[in-house]
Amino acid sequence: MKTLAKYWSIFQITLINSLAYPGELIGRSLMIIPFMWIFFQLWKVTFSAAGADGGMINGLTLRDTLWYLMLAETIELGRPPIARTMSENVKDGSIAYILNKPYDFILYQFSTAMGETIFRAMLNAIFGGLTVWWRVGMPNHLQGFLIALPAVLGAWVLHFCINAMIGLSAFVVEDVSAFTWIYQKLAFIFGGMLIPLDFYPQWLQSFAKALPFSSAIYGPARLFVTPSLEMFVNVMSLQIVWIVALAITLVIVYRRGLTQLTVNGG
Amino acid sequence: MTSIEVTNLQKTFQTKRKAAGLGGSIRSLFKPEYGSVEAVQSLSFNMDAGELLGFIGPNGAGKSTTIKMLTGILHPSGGEAKVLGFTPWVDRQKLAYRIGTVFGQRPQLWYHLPAMDTFILFGKIYELDDAEAKKRIDFLSEAFEIRDLLDVPVRKLSLGQRMRCEVAASLLHRPKLILLDEPSIGLDVVAKQHIRDAIKRMNQEEGVGVLLTSHDAGDLEALCKRVIVVNHGQIVYEDKVSNLKRKFLTTKMVEVRYAEEVSKDYSIKGVEILKVGHYGVKLKFDTTKTSVDFVMSHLANAGDIVDITISDPPLEEVIAKIYQEANDSAIQRIGESTIRRANRGDKSG
Repeated sequence: MKTLAKYWSIFQITLINSLAYPGELIGRSLMIIPFMWIFFQLWKVTFSAAGADGGMINGLTLRDTLWYLMLAETIELGRPPIARTMSENVKDGSIAYILNKPYDFILYQFSTAMGETIFRAMLNAIFGGLTVWWRVGMPNHLQGFLIALPAVLGAWVLHFCINAMIGLSAFVVEDVSAFTWIYQKLAFIFGGMLIPLDFYPQWLQSFAKALPFSSAIYGPARLFVTPSLEMFVNVMSLQIVWIVALAITLVIVYRRGLTQLTVNGG
Repeated sequence: MTSIEVTNLQKTFQTKRKAAGLGGSIRSLFKPEYGSVEAVQSLSFNMDAGELLGFIGPNGAGKSTTIKMLTGILHPSGGEAKVLGFTPWVDRQKLAYRIGTVFGQRPQLWYHLPAMDTFILFGKIYELDDAEAKKRIDFLSEAFEIRDLLDVPVRKLSLGQRMRCEVAASLLHRPKLILLDEPSIGLDVVAKQHIRDAIKRMNQEEGVGVLLTSHDAGDLEALCKRVIVVNHGQIVYEDKVSNLKRKFLTTKMVEVRYAEEVSKDYSIKGVEILKVGHYGVKLKFDTTKTSVDFVMSHLANAGDIVDITISDPPLEEVIAKIYQEANDSAIQRIGESTIRRANRGDKSG
């Protein structure tokens, strides 16, 4: 119980810390408004050009597409830059303080990541949701919010596992910005951040859906716009498989990385 | 009872080497060259439970690397260490419940939040009951005189105030041993004294062992009973602080500023004048030959003093003296053995 309490406290203090500068938090979240506005303009033209004005492209309406993109953006913009933070911790030597406390390093990082995520994601969802609602109206299935919620949490866990692994490479290479850049672009393309995977050719869809990026973005966002029990089970089970596989790899990488660590500074 | 046992501890870092300029950068892309830096070379020492041990040396001497190995953050390249019965890099988490650490250049308090938030968090991390944590925070706020600072965001505290909170936070879980890495760095005289007093009190009242690294010989004089001097990752001197003081901390520097212009004649017996101005003087003297009282009374007679600073020689100077002594004794040993060999040769011849 006390073990759980310490991670809960780490989550709480990060949550409180994220409110230290509310103006910055709100200002950053407002960025989703122009993003959603641009998406609306782009997809309106696309649907119209495809002769699907008011209709569907591969099972999604314009409204579905925009609400899908709103959740995809919320997941992506809400998550904190774990890899970069871990890399900074290694570069400036502050990792010495993180490693010398009686907690699990990975769970500590996870608790802080979730603490940083909550308010950011909430504000992104509010501003992004209002923009989409203003342009295309309410989502078709309001219950999609509740059904997608566990998948959104799963998506953040998945993002965390991949990003923490990139962050751990800082134990050896120190600067991880190249890896985070590659990861972000892969998530954009194969996760369905800019275009729902449904609009890809069949062969590319199958390939993208077999990768973890789709479980971290496409799965929860698609579940939100067309919720069903069958899809919920599919998305969640695929997420669990990826989370277990990546979490085990993460622990192995961490244990190996620890022996390579060089703590900088005096 | 021993709290730290270190035997032949070593740490070698691999570092990438690159020639200067664009050509060097391009060559290193295709054919990277690596060198090794021996930060710690076969270090062996012991520390008793409740002891106040100074671990000093210049920048790059290997002090911080040793502390990081003793807390389990770094794995050594060779050798062994036991801290409170644990091998630090194997039992890092178990050891973390029993030791406290302060790295003077790396804050552990949450910068944007009041220190109290970090104290409460540490209470949870070290698995203290809420009532126990509260009682402990009360005690530490009184011991470190930080009661009024706990509700102020850490970023608004002065460096001295923040360091008092840092050290107090590291004692929250009643550690048996505290490792302080340059706790007084950048602090003014008053703030240093505050920290030293509080650490001494915790050592006397709770028996907390203190391993202290510092650049400041004053920290040693004020706090430690024994001292280990390291340089280039090796122990160059190990003795009681009283002996170090007697042998090497024998000079004091005094800087005095007067309220009005005074005579520039400061000829005091046994005192070396370093700098003279219209309103003051900077001088140096050997305390084994000239007493501090004697010098002070002369300076006080010269005019109304508005400011006075008494300082120890810089640590680099102390280490240079230690080296000088080590070299002298080595030369002496070589000389003696040459004479012995020569005598044996005479007899056999």
